[in-house]
Amino acid sequence: MPWPSGSMTILSKWKTSDLGAYMTLTQILKMLVACILVITFILVTASAYRQHRTTSALAELTDATSTIVAHLAVDELAHVDETGDKHSYVLDLDRLENLTFRREIGGENFEFQISLCYQGSENRTFGPAPPENRTNCSLVVACSLWLSDRFQLAKLGVIAWHA
Amino acid sequence: MARLNQMGVADILAMAFMFALLILGAVLMHAYSLRPLQAATDRQLELKCEHIYKALETAWVEPYTVSFLRAAAENLVLDHPTVPGPYLRSVMENALGYLSPPGFEISVALTNDEGALTFHENVGHPSREFVRRGSISVTKAGGENVVVQVVIRLFSFS
Repeated sequence: MPWPSGSMTILSKWKTSDLGAYMTLTQILKMLVACILVITFILVTASAYRQHRTTSALAELTDATSTIVAHLAVDELAHVDETGDKHSYVLDLDRLENLTFRREIGGENFEFQISLCYQGSENRTFGPAPPENRTNCSLVVACSLWLSDRFQLAKLGVIAWHA
Repeated sequence: MARLNQMGVADILAMAFMFALLILGAVLMHAYSLRPLQAATDRQLELKCEHIYKALETAWVEPYTVSFLRAAAENLVLDHPTVPGPYLRSVMENALGYLSPPGFEISVALTNDEGALTFHENVGHPSREFVRRGSISVTKAGGENVVVQVVIRLFSFS
């Protein structure tokens, strides 16, 4: 244990018991600082781990919502014409009747609600409402809608959450 | 250094350095942990940009039976396009305003050897930009096919 040289002359006049007390006090202070350092390190690591898990879960939900939107626009709600050709990114309202609002993505189950809005109309929603006590992710994309024998501009919105 | 050690400052310096390292490590860990979420958000914006392109490629200009992008390409190439130029500019600006998400703006640019046509080009200074490129083929009266390059940009201002 190194000693402060300037303090030696003062400390040399002290009794042995005082000197021992001073050493103990220094050691205690250093130990205290070391303990604070270790505790701070543990708290920061735990906090970073929790934040990482939260953001990973949010990223997973965000990607699941993107996957659901892509599947709906390209396949499940895509308009099929009289010749049997499927028009991706063109939605058909009639195909919403047989749609199930639950998907398994990456081994996890998600539920979702669809909203459809096109020029000159109000927002129409389909599927279950999102629960208030769960984190959900919403995504609105542009699309076309096959309506009244015309391709119209529309917006498809999806709110997804863990089932 | 030996003198510092004799004075007992070395231990304090070591501890201060460890604290500084700890704080730096914490900042880095928190910043790094946000990267997956930022990447997922970027993928969503790429998807939005793709959908905007496909919507403009398939949706018809009211009351005509030609899509927005094809009408714009015809305006660039043909002498007598299906949709008149001033009307197309008006409906295209409305469509871009309708499709753009809050805090974003959309710009559409069509180019070929004969010229260029841009809709909603006067955007401010965006913080980020997502681009979707494509092409449309237009047949001229003589049967000549002309390819028009289309670039759709989604500007973020957040």
